[in-house]
Amino acid sequence: MPQSVLSRARLEALLPTPITDRILEELLFGSKAEVAGAAGDELTISVTPDRLDLLSEGGLGLYLQGVLGVAHGIPKKPPAAGHAKVPSFRVDASVEPIRPAIAGALVRSPDDAGLDAGTLAEAIRVQEILHATVGRDRRAASLGIYPWDVIEPPVRYSLEPLADVAFVPLSEETEVRADRFFTDHPMAERYGALGRVGGRCLVLRDRRGAVLSLPPVLNARAAGEARVGHRELLIEATGREARPVREAVGLLLVVFAARGWSVSPVAVEGPGERRDDGRAVVEPHAVDLPSALVRAVAGDPLPSSEVLRRLARCRLGGHATEAGWRAEAPPWRPDLLGPIDVAEDVYLAAPVAVDAGVVPASRTVGRRRGETLYRRRFAERLIGLGLTAPHTSLFVSSEVVARVGGPEPIRLRNPVSTEFAYLRDRLFLSHLEVLERNTRHGYPQQFGEVGPVIVRAPSAESGGETRYRASLVIASESAGFADVAARVDYLLGDRDVSGVREPAEVPGAIPGRAARLRVAGETVAEMGEVHPRILTELGVPVPVAFAELDLSALWPLVAPRDGP
Amino acid sequence: MAGGEEEPSLGATPVSLSTPERSVLLALRNVEDGPVDEEEIVRRTGLASDQVRGTLQRLRSKHLVEVAEEHLTIRSLTPRGEDSRLRGLPERRFLEAMLRHGGALTAEEASAEGLRDEERSAAIGILRRRGLLADGLPFRLRAPDAAPTGPFPEELVLGQVADGVGEADEAIVTALERRGLVREEHRSRKHWSASEEGRRLTLAPEGEPTLGPLTSSLLASGEWNLRSFRPYDVRAPVPFVTGARPHPYVAWLEQFEEVLVGLGFEQSEGPLLETEFWNNDVLFMPQDHPARSIHDALSVEEVEGHLPPPELLARVAAVHEGRPMPGESEAVGPGWPGRYDPRIASRPVLRSQTTPVSARFLAGHPPPPFRMFSLDRNFRREEVDATHHLEFTQCEGILGEEGISMRHLVGIFRELARAIGIRELKIRPSYFPFTEPSIEGYVQHPQLGWIEVFPGGLFRPEVTRPLGVEVPVIAWGVGVMRLAMVSLGLHDVRDLFLDDLRRLQGGR
Repeated sequence: MPQSVLSRARLEALLPTPITDRILEELLFGSKAEVAGAAGDELTISVTPDRLDLLSEGGLGLYLQGVLGVAHGIPKKPPAAGHAKVPSFRVDASVEPIRPAIAGALVRSPDDAGLDAGTLAEAIRVQEILHATVGRDRRAASLGIYPWDVIEPPVRYSLEPLADVAFVPLSEETEVRADRFFTDHPMAERYGALGRVGGRCLVLRDRRGAVLSLPPVLNARAAGEARVGHRELLIEATGREARPVREAVGLLLVVFAARGWSVSPVAVEGPGERRDDGRAVVEPHAVDLPSALVRAVAGDPLPSSEVLRRLARCRLGGHATEAGWRAEAPPWRPDLLGPIDVAEDVYLAAPVAVDAGVVPASRTVGRRRGETLYRRRFAERLIGLGLTAPHTSLFVSSEVVARVGGPEPIRLRNPVSTEFAYLRDRLFLSHLEVLERNTRHGYPQQFGEVGPVIVRAPSAESGGETRYRASLVIASESAGFADVAARVDYLLGDRDVSGVREPAEVPGAIPGRAARLRVAGETVAEMGEVHPRILTELGVPVPVAFAELDLSALWPLVAPRDGP
Repeated sequence: MAGGEEEPSLGATPVSLSTPERSVLLALRNVEDGPVDEEEIVRRTGLASDQVRGTLQRLRSKHLVEVAEEHLTIRSLTPRGEDSRLRGLPERRFLEAMLRHGGALTAEEASAEGLRDEERSAAIGILRRRGLLADGLPFRLRAPDAAPTGPFPEELVLGQVADGVGEADEAIVTALERRGLVREEHRSRKHWSASEEGRRLTLAPEGEPTLGPLTSSLLASGEWNLRSFRPYDVRAPVPFVTGARPHPYVAWLEQFEEVLVGLGFEQSEGPLLETEFWNNDVLFMPQDHPARSIHDALSVEEVEGHLPPPELLARVAAVHEGRPMPGESEAVGPGWPGRYDPRIASRPVLRSQTTPVSARFLAGHPPPPFRMFSLDRNFRREEVDATHHLEFTQCEGILGEEGISMRHLVGIFRELARAIGIRELKIRPSYFPFTEPSIEGYVQHPQLGWIEVFPGGLFRPEVTRPLGVEVPVIAWGVGVMRLAMVSLGLHDVRDLFLDDLRRLQGGR
């Protein structure tokens, strides 16, 4: 779950009174955020991935205001101040192949003090969260925050030859050429490929040519560094597609909107005749909520006034319509994609009454799968034979696979360790590991298990097939082939099946002391004595015989009788 | 059955022992002046000492003889000790050489007198500690008449140790041990005697044949009726035998299934190795979702997957891209950013949740009402520790029919909690890409407090519509491992994969 450390003081500044940890936890239980830790001024908050707005003091503060009843609906928009300069982006056709989407907003402080250190820190922290989440590590969207007073619109977004670009990177003193920057700078090493193609790179410049940034890599120092005291900020995001870019801008706006900053759209012009006034990025979007859907979700109809009250509590706007309601969601609620999403907010805006939960009358017949019951009967028979039942994992180690040899099982591409590196294709592999882990105990040892394996199956949808096997292992001074063969005969006989044993090479078994068993031409079992080389390597001091039945192969043969 | 050993009996019934046992026991019964050692028994029975030793152990296990152990400390001179006894201790030889040289001695003169360097050093140290030597060189007596007249105490003790007589001064013995002149060995000597049982035992006459194990030939011949059976030692150790029982975790899972079957749910199952289509796409998980990355999902090498039926693929692709599905005029929803990539859809991946089983079930167009559950293994790329494992069990359940709502999901949660003995339940909002609303049920556990156990919700239309399902479907995926750990009293998730045979035989 996404997580961030918030300032308790900044959060409480948005609330009527300070709140204790316990009350905060209780208030957040009804939300998609929770307190993961609290120490001094630091509040660690984790949220579900759809509510990133709650990772900022602004967003969480707005939510808590609604829960506490001190504010409701979408925060009132301060009257838009007239801007001396009209913000706009002019997009050059050259960016189309690499990162064509751009969106922005202009935010203005409600007072002359402008940007304070806390809001700046919050904005930068949220910016980084958005890079990692919505932005998919800046691939889908990356954000920039700029001081508007030093920028001369329009801001031009284009792909320029590296040789033509020189700028002072953020937090540095000296100017560097872009070709050098892309070679040497650590940020370019990490994100350079996203903002550069061949000998050209993405650049944002204002009308005078001052470089704002090299998206999505790094801002420039002069025009690209927001500082305490700035009264107007330009927020910008670029990416491959419009939606995550708009979502990123919208989510960042909550930091400012919660503190009364005014928000204005930034128009996007070009390439060619294209023009977008940018309002969709900063204005609430409407979602129709049919009353039938609310009833279908909650199980009961809700009075219209209650639905509107809940929308307001969620800090959403709304009004009744003929078919239900029309909700309005602010830009920092991109999770509200459609009616069902708004219905969720309405349903969960009040505590879910556990006592109101009812189990619907059953009009179906519960049952287990016939094949599951059949497998379970084998497991019972193994226990009846006195075989202890381990429960082993599907994963086996590289070591045991190398030790046994034979066809290689399916290997994990991204294993966490060599201990769990392969998917077993025989229970035998897991059971060699069981033998190795039990050498400290005395003998005889005998155990058996019914469990899944995965075998290569090129024609299967996933390229592998899940099959179920029953395995039995006997380790004792006198264990031998006949012991396991006799038990296999018993297990098959129990299902009225008899087969024919034939000599076979079974990996891990002593040559000449292994067999496969066929029923109606189908191999349904293999058995043998474990090779002494393997026993020596495992540290097992007594002979071991093993058998493995392919229950999935056997099932079609017995299904008419064993099935439900 | 027993280990084949004879069981002597008390009282009038004559019992039979093996010939050596009989000989040794009789020899000990005949001893009148107390316990004897093995050598004496050898002498009295004429048996080999090895045979006597083994026989004594068997008789002891039958409680017919007793043993008293005597611990001895044996001191002797080391080769250097023997040398000092013959030629004199180094300090004695140094003193005598000094006297021969008129009361003063140089190092060279000491060497010429046969004192090795280490002997000279030891001698000088001892004589100085005793105040006999003056400071400075050459070495001189502190006073002309300082030389002792009698033997040193060490010389007396060396003699006592060598001869094995007298009470040696322990402090001097210890000092001589430290100088490597005396050594000490600890031995024990066993003294055997017949026990009370051994003395009272009535022995069968020698040579009377008895029967060992009952055999089929004895039964057939009737010979068992002509001779007595040799009794077994019922107290002798027996081979280790255990029973088998179901694995406790597997048994717990089967019990949990009962609850769902009782609520009218039908079991379903799906492949453990899935394609990304069934594991994610059909569940409306965006193709660039972080949980699908190589850091979270387990993928496999050198295996190629295939796409689902083209009609289904087209419907799911349309939903992801926010387009109307083929044959429809309106999109189900706005979809996700980016183009849907079928190459991702066909990639094999280990199932990371049981929800693909639900999707496959729904794709089979079950007629409503339907209830399905699947309790099975799933896999995530986790480091293995006390609370995490690559493999975890989830219980997936879905219920679809007209009029089904979140109230019913809460009701199911409450019923499941009640079935495992938990009364307190509370619900909070949650998030899953495939359900909306999404909730999480927390239960109150006496030791762990509130723990999240029941995640679930109402399947999004983006999930049900492409699969052709028109009724609302509630779904949940219970993390049963945690419940099982609580129920079985386990604190380490690895214990659910218990394969310690001894522990499994003993129960939990």
